[in-house]
Amino acid sequence: MKKDLLVLGFVILIVAVLLSGTKFQSVEDYYQTHIDDIKEDSETVTLSIRCDTVLEHWEQLSPQLQSDKYIPEDGVILPPTEYVLRPKDTVFDILNRAVRHSKIQMEFQGADDNVYNSVYIKGIHHLYEYSCGPLSGWMYKVNGEFPDYGCSRYKPEDKDVIEFVYTCDLGRDVGGEFEQ
Amino acid sequence: MEIIKSEDLSFTYPGQEKRAVDSVSFKILPGEFVVICGESGCGKTTLLKLLKRELSPNGTLEGEIYYMGTRLGELDDRTAACEIGYVMQNPENQVVTDKVWHELAFGLENMGVPTPEIRRRVGEMASFFGIHEWFQKETSQLSGGQKQLLNLASIMVMQPRILILDEPTSQLDPIAAADFINTLHKLNRELGLTILLVEHRLEEVFPIADKVAVMDRGRLLLYDTPRIIGSELKEKYQNHPMLLGLPSPMRIYQQLDARDDCPLTIREGRDFLTRNYQKEGRIQSPEREKPVRHREKEEELAVHLKNIWFRYERALPDILAGVDLRVRKGEIFSILGGNGSGKTTLLSVISGQNKAYRGGIKIFGKKIKEYKSGELYRHNLALLPQNPQTVFLKTSVAEDYKEIGKVMGYGKEELEEDIARIAGQLNIQELLPKHPYDLSGGEQQKAALGKMLLLKPRCLLLDEPTKGIDAYSKAVLRGILDNLRKEGITILLVTHDVEFAAQISDRCSLFFDREVISEDTPVSFFSNNNFYTTAANRMARHMYPYAITCEDVVALCRKYGRKSI
Amino acid sequence: MDHFSSYHPSVLLVYYVIVLLLTMFTVHPVLLVCSLLGGILFFAATNPLKALGKNLIFYLFLFFLLALTNPIFNHRGETPLFFMNDNPVTLEAILYGAGVSVMLIGIMFWCKCYNQVMTSDKFVYLFGKAIPKLSLVLSMALRFIPVFKSQMKKISQVQKTMGLYTSDSLTDRVIGSIRTLSALLTWCLENSIETADSMKARGYGLKGRTNFSIFCFRMDDGILLAALGAFLCMSGVGYQQNVFEFYYYPSVSPIPTGAGAYLQYSIILVMMLFPSILEIKGRIQWKLLRAKI
Repeated sequence: MKKDLLVLGFVILIVAVLLSGTKFQSVEDYYQTHIDDIKEDSETVTLSIRCDTVLEHWEQLSPQLQSDKYIPEDGVILPPTEYVLRPKDTVFDILNRAVRHSKIQMEFQGADDNVYNSVYIKGIHHLYEYSCGPLSGWMYKVNGEFPDYGCSRYKPEDKDVIEFVYTCDLGRDVGGEFEQ
Repeated sequence: MEIIKSEDLSFTYPGQEKRAVDSVSFKILPGEFVVICGESGCGKTTLLKLLKRELSPNGTLEGEIYYMGTRLGELDDRTAACEIGYVMQNPENQVVTDKVWHELAFGLENMGVPTPEIRRRVGEMASFFGIHEWFQKETSQLSGGQKQLLNLASIMVMQPRILILDEPTSQLDPIAAADFINTLHKLNRELGLTILLVEHRLEEVFPIADKVAVMDRGRLLLYDTPRIIGSELKEKYQNHPMLLGLPSPMRIYQQLDARDDCPLTIREGRDFLTRNYQKEGRIQSPEREKPVRHREKEEELAVHLKNIWFRYERALPDILAGVDLRVRKGEIFSILGGNGSGKTTLLSVISGQNKAYRGGIKIFGKKIKEYKSGELYRHNLALLPQNPQTVFLKTSVAEDYKEIGKVMGYGKEELEEDIARIAGQLNIQELLPKHPYDLSGGEQQKAALGKMLLLKPRCLLLDEPTKGIDAYSKAVLRGILDNLRKEGITILLVTHDVEFAAQISDRCSLFFDREVISEDTPVSFFSNNNFYTTAANRMARHMYPYAITCEDVVALCRKYGRKSI
Repeated sequence: MDHFSSYHPSVLLVYYVIVLLLTMFTVHPVLLVCSLLGGILFFAATNPLKALGKNLIFYLFLFFLLALTNPIFNHRGETPLFFMNDNPVTLEAILYGAGVSVMLIGIMFWCKCYNQVMTSDKFVYLFGKAIPKLSLVLSMALRFIPVFKSQMKKISQVQKTMGLYTSDSLTDRVIGSIRTLSALLTWCLENSIETADSMKARGYGLKGRTNFSIFCFRMDDGILLAALGAFLCMSGVGYQQNVFEFYYYPSVSPIPTGAGAYLQYSIILVMMLFPSILEIKGRIQWKLLRAKI
């Protein structure tokens, strides 16, 4: 009886994995992302990823991350870089292209899996939500403003400046108030 | 000083006119072994409960009971609880806790005895009763006999001065019952414990009792030594239904005209017969023609088992090993055998509850597998279980009967007709509106049998039908079964009640070592057995080897007449 | 014969609490493997080989299932092996899954042994110390359950032979079991009256009830308890020295080494293996004693 259940569990797992249209890629395939070359007439945005707040709250950081391998000394994970803005691009699309191009680790929760109807960024470069105290996590700014909706619903415009910043205090330490 | 004295004691249950106990006076001296007998419902149990203050029922009490010279009502709680021990009928329900050692200690815990003292007393008692072997066990794993012994021991550990027992052996098999009675005898003989016992099974207790009390309809008819009781009953109360329950030697004595001391044991009975009656001249088998040992044709058989093998689980030993059984249509067939020998399992296999892993079963010539769901139980086979309480699901007997009507698809009128007919046949009309659990053991048995008969079976399987019922109910049951046979119903019963099987069966057999062996007519079955036979046969076999029931012995005694002195 | 279970219930309880807490609140692979080893060995020492084999096969399956499920839902770790639906399946996640399943299986084996060692009477005794009434109630309930079960079986079998509720329709069977249950309840109430009588007849309700138990606290129990205390202190020191610190994400941290760490590991191993060592020692002694007969 117990054994039957186990086998059944295995089978269901495998079937579920296969049925959900699973796509397997090797590591090289995944990181081989095509980045459009910047031409004169192309629209562009600037993206940067920073975590300098962590440096100020070093004692709160999970011990396993307390290394410059994960937290760069200047707090810059991705320096401001210009990327081509394709039509219908969202902030998330640009971020996703950028991290894949730069082989930066990133994990997100799909828009279908949460209540915000938007992709939620769980962690970038092994730095996750709650990694630096209970009020920590990733936020993004566009032209210095914190939009009050998710990054896969925000459609940036030409010459926008997008910054992903890590907060250790619900955004108060990066100059924004986290929306209730 | 007498340990218990009752003066003109009467008791009436609330809302009833009739007195359940009617002006009873008696004295019990220290060290006496007193047996109370009487039919069911004669007020024995009520009387016992009145003597144990904690259990005395609600109602109007007149007269007085004294314990060691003090009024029972004025005793302090501790004395009343500890010095008067009480053992009830059902072994199962008296057990309170889950472990044997805890059960033994329970009474002492209540008395507030400190732990080292409890340890000593419990150890002592366990050794005396031979409980030490299962001291650590769970109470639910014990057999009925062990449970009752445990109940007795857990009373004895409180060191009572008088022990009151209400039919303690009625739910036990004969061997466990005899063991239990022997233990009581030992307590009485070796510790001088006063014992007051109510019993149906009088064969064992009469010879060891100092006094016997005979009760009838709430009154105390007689109270004297067993031998005097025997003579008095003979003189004053001929044909009283109570006489049915007496030990066989006494019953035979009752019905004969010889003036002699009343025999109590088999040995005394043998001497009594030898002294007073003529031996059978030329011994002849009562079966005039030897039964033709032909193999019955298939269509004559109601139940046919061929080489049946059964075990409960693969890893467990066989319970049935190559059982062959041929029960003819319209006969009463008894299977006798010891406890735990697998008789009940055999019935469960025949009734399709359990499946044999090898061999074939045919019920009325049709393989058991070919009966579709439930078909076997409609108009074919019915099984009356050992515990009739399991048969009832509803709040009254009548409702339970109607339930069967639904299953069988009877019409309303047809059902009512059937119920009325069966109720008449079993004489249970007044039981119909009652709650099944309010009935006495014998009544429950009859009501359960009624429910089975509504299934209109052609073959009836009975599992220990005489368990826990008194001699009178047994006689009634015998009448019922006889009538059913006349209607052509085949009856297969398993029992360890040798006397009952001898009286009722057309054929008997012994279940031994996982097989049914030595099937024969009761006369040759029992007269060929030396030990496993009726008390009447054991008593009279030196004179009338083919007499197996008391009636046979009495008839033969009358036929061959008194010895001329 | 059965050495470990002959210790005093309170000592056994303390031991189990320590083992389970230690296993549950750590992901340190050395600790987990020690605990698993202890659990399996103890199970092997108290059960027939066949049962052990069956259990091992089952838990091996469970191990793979758990170890492989984790990386599907957890994408942390810096060593992606491949990507599934744009999510990395990482080495660290697989290792973490393996660690957690070792923990779970270890706990399961300990619990199996716990059931065999902490029998109901010991359990009742421990609670009885705190709440005497509760211990009696528990004891009565524990007696009642098997009685209830067997009566239930009897009733439903008898009903079946009367052709009631044998139809294949589910509703019929459900109604049937409800009826059986209600009859069973009546039966229970009816019989519990007698049980109550039996309690009264034996003086239940008198003032000054005591609680009896067959367990006594011996020298050995004291020694084991002291040893456990010392062990806890040692572990505290180890905790202070970060010997038990271990991480799987983002990369698997190295297992702490050094004299202090090895000392801690060996103490934990001894402590986890203690019951099985006792059992095996008892068995060998018995063999030797028997050889002398």
